[in-house]
Amino acid sequence: MDSMVRNPDVKQRDAAQAVVVAVSSDAIFDPEVEQVHGATEPLRKGDAFSFMKAIQVVNERLLTLNSDETLLFDVILLSNDSEEKHSRIIASAKHYGLDIGRFCFCNKEDSIESLQSNEVKLFLSMDTNDVCKALQKGVPAALLYHQTDPNHQTEDQLKVVFSGDVIGSSEEMLHGLREQGFTETQLQGFKTAKGSVKEFAILMGEMRRRFGLEGSPLCTGLMTVWSSRDVCASALKTLRGWGLLVDEAFCLAGAPRSPILNLGFIGNTMKSSTYVKEGRDYSMYYGLEV
Amino acid sequence: MNLDPVQVMKGQSNPKDPTAAPVTASSNGDGKGAWEEKEEFDQGHLGLTTKPLLVSCQRRARKVEGGIFFPKPENAVTIAVSSRVLFRTETEQKVYEQKGVEEYLRYQVEHENEPFAPGPAFSFVKALEAVNARLRELYPESEELFDIVLVTYNHAHVGVRLINTINHHNLFIERFCMTGGSSPIGYLKAWQTNLYLSADAEKVREALSEGIAAATMFMSNKLTEVSQTQLRVAFDGDAVLFSDESERIFKAQGLDGFFQHERDNEDILLDRGPLKDFLASLGKLQKKFYAKGHRLDCPIRTYLVTARSAASSGIRALKTLRAWGLETDEALFLAGAPKGPMLEKIRPHIYFDDQMFHVEGAAEMGTVAAHVPYGIAQKHPHKKSLNTGN
Repeated sequence: MDSMVRNPDVKQRDAAQAVVVAVSSDAIFDPEVEQVHGATEPLRKGDAFSFMKAIQVVNERLLTLNSDETLLFDVILLSNDSEEKHSRIIASAKHYGLDIGRFCFCNKEDSIESLQSNEVKLFLSMDTNDVCKALQKGVPAALLYHQTDPNHQTEDQLKVVFSGDVIGSSEEMLHGLREQGFTETQLQGFKTAKGSVKEFAILMGEMRRRFGLEGSPLCTGLMTVWSSRDVCASALKTLRGWGLLVDEAFCLAGAPRSPILNLGFIGNTMKSSTYVKEGRDYSMYYGLEV
Repeated sequence: MNLDPVQVMKGQSNPKDPTAAPVTASSNGDGKGAWEEKEEFDQGHLGLTTKPLLVSCQRRARKVEGGIFFPKPENAVTIAVSSRVLFRTETEQKVYEQKGVEEYLRYQVEHENEPFAPGPAFSFVKALEAVNARLRELYPESEELFDIVLVTYNHAHVGVRLINTINHHNLFIERFCMTGGSSPIGYLKAWQTNLYLSADAEKVREALSEGIAAATMFMSNKLTEVSQTQLRVAFDGDAVLFSDESERIFKAQGLDGFFQHERDNEDILLDRGPLKDFLASLGKLQKKFYAKGHRLDCPIRTYLVTARSAASSGIRALKTLRAWGLETDEALFLAGAPKGPMLEKIRPHIYFDDQMFHVEGAAEMGTVAAHVPYGIAQKHPHKKSLNTGN
């Protein structure tokens, strides 16, 4: 049982054509430990805040290219907060001018159902359990990282990076992982993840094609953390088959990924990174790095 | 003035200092804090029981005792090469320059299954792998190896072709970054790169300014054969291993001024140059071979090839190296003689010089030379026609 509130300040998207992304309110607004009764000032910005702004830039650019564009990001804010906080959330969104189409208020137990009924293409949260549960029910989801370095936050480009380990996975590669000690549950997780990320990848491919090679507000990438370069090549070809030609590719061969994720990159363009990566029960959540 | 180049062999006149100062393999940039601390993930929380290891590769001749592992960047000597120096990409470059990026990428994808031919850094990389093979034999558990990473500005559209080429040539490169146009400097620093080789002088300059040893490489049509079993690296002295202070004096005050300055400052160490740490990292690996009795047949050999004179200005160079706890296997003091013929004799896999004039001279004689765009020589390039010896 949820309550969906449309945001009157934002033009509603055609949900069937848009890329519906649900973001947990705890990511957008800093979940305050102390709830002051009757407090009305806007909530503080959370860790996914600049991600929200980056999404906005993409939408604006898409509409500039084609004012009738329907392949836009359609953001639903998912909140499990108590009723007294609802209006404050809505007011805060308005205060910051966030491009949130709908607010979904529901109980924690009903979250998954809400995600499913709204045909969410991606669910983002800072809570590992929430993400796990969503994935287990077949809802594509990714974990947000707590980005501590303010210098690495940026709002002018949205970067979506996919996992080469998941997308490039094959029976052969999984067998290799089995020998390395991964359990069957974990391996099944790879397969499920590959299936659930496909739709989002196809949409990102389509959206990326709206822009030229250079100066795009949307940047796509592939990152392979554990597997060999052949798995990475396989992932590149798979993504290409899905219509997504990524801009960047990284193969880490076990090197720690946080320096890559944490990098704000030198030069004029600082990027906000979104890692869309699914996996169950193992440390392959990359999450959202904004 | 004696114009014959003088060779000084390590270990002949000076007994080796048994207490050489320890040098770190990588000392580039900052941010060397333990990476594991930055992992914000609690793996236990996710129910992870075993630490995922690397997928074993199916390629032959890659398996090592105990499985394959890739060294942690802080332990390895990381050599970053760009795709244009590792392979020959002139045809594709022309497509890019004449027809633009879209056509260039389309062309790359179309020719995806055609591997690139070896580029100027290829034999150097092969030699690094040969050294790794020997190191793995002697120290199977050690991560102190060369780690070759491919760092390119290319779009990932070229990725499949690059991977196919790596496979075709049987190269052991598992780490790479294709940055799709943005600067790879951040990645170079994150991976604690000890040396960056690129075809683009701008990128090399950027790396140098960030404290990363870097050099520009050029494709040469003539390439002499180099050793398959011994890595040979040659360095110019001033503005490569050492700072450019002496070159500044030379430019300002001429040869006599230079000699006077060097005499007066003989006991004062020269400042470090951009490739000093790279030499140090080679020395560290050499010592691992010595420790197992492989001094005479060490698969790494280093050379100093300098215009300084052995009897005079060269002394300061040697004293500086010794004070740093570094040495080269051979030191060639050319006293101004052209370097080309000497390099042709040495046949290094790579020779670093700060002056394009010397780089070109070396390339003409078939030596793979890399330009280090550092110091005063970049502002006042030596004109070839003024050189007496060449």
